[in-house]
Amino acid sequence: MAEASQLFKEFKIQSVSEFFRRNAAMLGYTGKVRSLTTLVHEAVTNSLDACEEAGIPPYIRVEIEELGREHYKVVVEDNGPGIPEKYITHVFGKMLAGTKAHRNIQSRGQQGIGISGAVMFAQITSGKATRVITSTGDEIIEAWVKIDVDKNEGKIVKKERHPNPDGWHGTRIELEVKNVKYMRSKQGVYWYLKLTAIANPHAHIELIEPDGRLIVFPRSSEEVPEPPVEMKPHPKGVLTDDVYRMAKKTKRQSVRRFLIGEFSRISDKKVDELVEYIAALRLIKTVEDKKVQEQLYERLMKGEVKAVLRSFRGYTKVVKQVAKMMEKPPEKLTWHEAEEIVEAFKYMKFLAPPTHGLRPIGEENIEKGLKGILKPEFVTAVTRPPKVYSGGIPFQVEVGLAYGGEIPSGFELLRYANRVPLLFDAGSCVTTQAARSIDWKRYKVDDLDRTPLVLMINVVSVHVPYTGTGKQSIASVDEIYNEIRLAIMDAARRLQTYLSGKHRRLYQVKRKKTFEKYVPEIARALSVLTGEPEEKIREYFLNFIESHFASKEAVEVSENA
Amino acid sequence: MPKRKVIHREKPKEKFSYDPKKVLSKLEEYGRSVLEAIKSGKNPYFDIPMRGLNNVYFDEKSRLIKMGDKLSRRYFLNVAHARKFMQTLLIMAYVKRLVSEGKHASLREAYYANKHTIPGTRENTFEDQRESDPIIEDLERMLGVLREEMHITADRRGYIYGDIVIRDGEDEFNASKLGSGGWAVPGTVEHIQFPEINVDYALVVETAAMADRLIEEKFPKKENALIIATQGQASRGVRRLIHRLHYEEGLPIIVFTDGDPYGWYIYSTIKQGSINLAYLSDKLATPEARFVGMTMDDIKRYGLENVTEKLKGIPPNKKGGPTGDYKRILEEMEYPWFQNREWQRQLKLALKWGVRIEQQALANKSLEFVAKEYLPEKINNGDLLP
Repeated sequence: MAEASQLFKEFKIQSVSEFFRRNAAMLGYTGKVRSLTTLVHEAVTNSLDACEEAGIPPYIRVEIEELGREHYKVVVEDNGPGIPEKYITHVFGKMLAGTKAHRNIQSRGQQGIGISGAVMFAQITSGKATRVITSTGDEIIEAWVKIDVDKNEGKIVKKERHPNPDGWHGTRIELEVKNVKYMRSKQGVYWYLKLTAIANPHAHIELIEPDGRLIVFPRSSEEVPEPPVEMKPHPKGVLTDDVYRMAKKTKRQSVRRFLIGEFSRISDKKVDELVEYIAALRLIKTVEDKKVQEQLYERLMKGEVKAVLRSFRGYTKVVKQVAKMMEKPPEKLTWHEAEEIVEAFKYMKFLAPPTHGLRPIGEENIEKGLKGILKPEFVTAVTRPPKVYSGGIPFQVEVGLAYGGEIPSGFELLRYANRVPLLFDAGSCVTTQAARSIDWKRYKVDDLDRTPLVLMINVVSVHVPYTGTGKQSIASVDEIYNEIRLAIMDAARRLQTYLSGKHRRLYQVKRKKTFEKYVPEIARALSVLTGEPEEKIREYFLNFIESHFASKEAVEVSENA
Repeated sequence: MPKRKVIHREKPKEKFSYDPKKVLSKLEEYGRSVLEAIKSGKNPYFDIPMRGLNNVYFDEKSRLIKMGDKLSRRYFLNVAHARKFMQTLLIMAYVKRLVSEGKHASLREAYYANKHTIPGTRENTFEDQRESDPIIEDLERMLGVLREEMHITADRRGYIYGDIVIRDGEDEFNASKLGSGGWAVPGTVEHIQFPEINVDYALVVETAAMADRLIEEKFPKKENALIIATQGQASRGVRRLIHRLHYEEGLPIIVFTDGDPYGWYIYSTIKQGSINLAYLSDKLATPEARFVGMTMDDIKRYGLENVTEKLKGIPPNKKGGPTGDYKRILEEMEYPWFQNREWQRQLKLALKWGVRIEQQALANKSLEFVAKEYLPEKINNGDLLP
């Protein structure tokens, strides 16, 4: 018996680490450089989210210490609200519960399984517990957290309390990891933090690299963004699984009330309509002639649901059956019925989903972020109005363009999904495709590869359509592709205006010089011809040139105003 | 008394009119207008009559190639004009100095005299003579004066021989007493005066060899003629000299060239002016000039069939034609001043026979034939082409 339980325990241990390994790609823990980046990402994301929720301007410090070959200590410290003692295990230990996967909320944390994944990763590579130091302002708690693979939850292996005379609040976590590598590459921690700083101008981010170098990405905006709100799912954007799962969880009394209450854009009347559509679909499925069936589907798509129903004898009976389904308790909803509902949704028309849940960075903040971190001479940003893809999933595209200044020559694309930098799989990403499709020459960017230009693209959505499990590349959805293009072109036009203005100014200075250099020659010749003193003639000409260009500038200023 | 000849000196139509002060006052006038403009805050400019074929026309009345009235305005405050504006003023000042000091300079000297690096740049006022030459031409058109009147001389070519007295500065001499080489025509003939003229007409000869032949045969003395050797296309100095001799001294002008398109073209420029110098036709061309030979008819009349040469190029009826001489002849047939029966006949014959005839082919008869028979006969019989 003891043996069996031992076996079972081992099996459990194996299965959790097995799960981790099997899903390493999905969780972001593949490759030595990337694993470290993911680890930092999870911790920094947690910190940013915590600060935003508390309305505190984030101050985040990341420290990477090399302990040995491919063996590091990662420290991430923030000035957030801190974690109450009883939630520590919950935050750091709940392996699979902490995900936001089934909440309809725009979140940074679509990657992996959150900070608990980082704790798990540290645990299975170095065997060490994660040290957490946190305070909500009272006493300071120092705790060593491990994941209890038995129970699939966090376990504090050691805990100490310290006085907190200064009222410090915040969280500091220390993870010891092996099998990772720090590199200053475009997939590494440095680049990740730089991109994060650009997209989060309200955050102050510091990095201490293994060689002791301190890098600061200073805060460039004082405005802390509001945390995203949860949005009810739109009928066009749900899957059978969503409906089934939500039905099981809901506290509503009937399927009808559940649909009205838990989804956006569904009213009492819409449910009546839904009943008719489901009934019609059921009836169409009974038709044997494929051609006729096809025609009926088409008519249904056109909204001729009443006519379709009437073409069947005794259709009222079916409608009544379906209507009954709407009145039963939602937890009794079967998978098949959920499937029917989702299928009917596809044929029905709904108002576009609400977009208030989207949290773009905003044009002003993008500009601040780009300006603060990249120090360009020109920056502009475009936040497009929210749009919908696949009929019901709201999304929004933002683009920032920075030019010149301290930006090195060459084009750089910074990709973001919900403010999270995407560092991998750039080739297959819709943002890359859209950026490449732009005819940059049209916007006075003659040689893209030699122009000091940075383009940032942020795709904001509750469900960003990633191409793979790695969630590092956005799928090429037409609606998103088009929005990105429009946004880039809009920003590029402003760049063009700037560049042509710049060219014009340079040109004017050059022009002025062209005239000025001839003045001494002209003055000498005119003096010979007219007998007037050379000095005076020179003055006449220089004054004339000066006033000419001054008035020209004045005209330009008023044009731009 | 010898009988009155067909060709004799006529009454002069113009007077010697060279006045350096005219050029100087014009230059000063332009200088002042630029200064006035700049003082009142206006963009100064020069109006320059345009060069080129589209500002050239044939004036039927005066029978001259003349310049149209198209102007190009050269501004100071224009990136494309500024440099030329500066160059124009530079040359103007230079011309003022030349004229007021009574000095002459060649085109090349004018170029070097004004070429220097503009202070504070790596740019020269003139990079090439090709920059200064057009500016001088511009000034000619702008001021309506000859380059020679601005004391800028062209390449000299050509000489004269005959019983006329020439005053050139402090020197005065008879052009028939300078030996068989005659007097070389200088680049500028504006200041030349002719105190005494004892000839009936001037014979303009294309080749020096022919001129030398005529001098050796004492043709000028016997026929009372002035020989003007152009040595190919007539230089500006020679053309101006011909013009002045005709208008100021009333000498009839008779032109004697090879019987080929090039020779006829030489005649054409003496008579009508050229497109390049259309703006100077008034001062360079002599529309009353007439043509003695060689003509196609001479071949038949003097039995010169054996000494003709084939025209160069491809005839118009052959594949790839017309080219070379043929093309040239066809072009000349279109000239307004060749629109007469006589010339069209000559040109058509040339095309038909496909031949050309040189002046010196007359030596086929005998060395003295040209001086003793050909020219006196044709000229005294008035057998001349218009």
